[in-house]
Amino acid sequence: MFNPCDKCEEVLQPFLDRELSEAEYREAEAHLDECGYCRKRYRFEERLRMYVRQAWTEEMSPDLKARLAALRTPLY
Amino acid sequence: MTESGPETDARRIAEDARERVRFEEEVLELADQVYRVARRLVSSREEAEDLVQETYARAFRSWRSYTPGTNLRAWLFRILTNLNIDRGRREQRAPATQPLEEGDYFLYNRLEAESGGDDEERIVERLSQDGIVDALSAVPHDFRDVIVLVDIGDFTYQDAAQILDIPIGTVMSRLHRGRRILKRELASAAVGEEA
Repeated sequence: MFNPCDKCEEVLQPFLDRELSEAEYREAEAHLDECGYCRKRYRFEERLRMYVRQAWTEEMSPDLKARLAALRTPLY
Repeated sequence: MTESGPETDARRIAEDARERVRFEEEVLELADQVYRVARRLVSSREEAEDLVQETYARAFRSWRSYTPGTNLRAWLFRILTNLNIDRGRREQRAPATQPLEEGDYFLYNRLEAESGGDDEERIVERLSQDGIVDALSAVPHDFRDVIVLVDIGDFTYQDAAQILDIPIGTVMSRLHRGRRILKRELASAAVGEEA
């Protein structure tokens, strides 16, 4: 399958990572307003990022926390 | 009145100790974040724990190299990523040899074709949490480091560039390519065929 909107693919990453300048951001948003294809994919990418962020990780063990604290320089 | 002498020395030592204690406390407050990122940089819990412990040992040892007022998080994560690189990247997988021309929408197209037009939310929900963990560990280190720092560590491109000591353009290209690899891995896991 091909991607019909290459322009969007170029700004997709920095747009979602909030790394575009304000002007670029507005331009991208304006494009999203009029391009249903890109809008769909942006939404998908956004959800995918949230999903990666929330990927399950167990909490750090209290034991490791204690070991880290024990690495501190003794005061005397 | 002279500026040296036992009293001034004692004051300096006390001030030094106070600064160090403050530094160590601030660094320890970041431990959960460090662990979360470490856990995604390496594949096992044991390795992540070792890596975090080494990071803290080194951070405490080299506290004088931190300039107060600068980005402590970035300073600490730089130690973490450097140590991870030093560990020899033992678990490094061969870089993906498959072409990636399918582009960013490959996963979407795959899942959409499978699901027959569900909305984006439903499509993403079809991916499992185990799937993302496996997919991320299949992404070669250079790319994974950037994804983990930006997506899980919540660093800006600029901070990630500083932490990994690479140009910002490299951060962007690795992020781009890394996410494509991640999506291809997810597609292959979700659709159950070789992508």
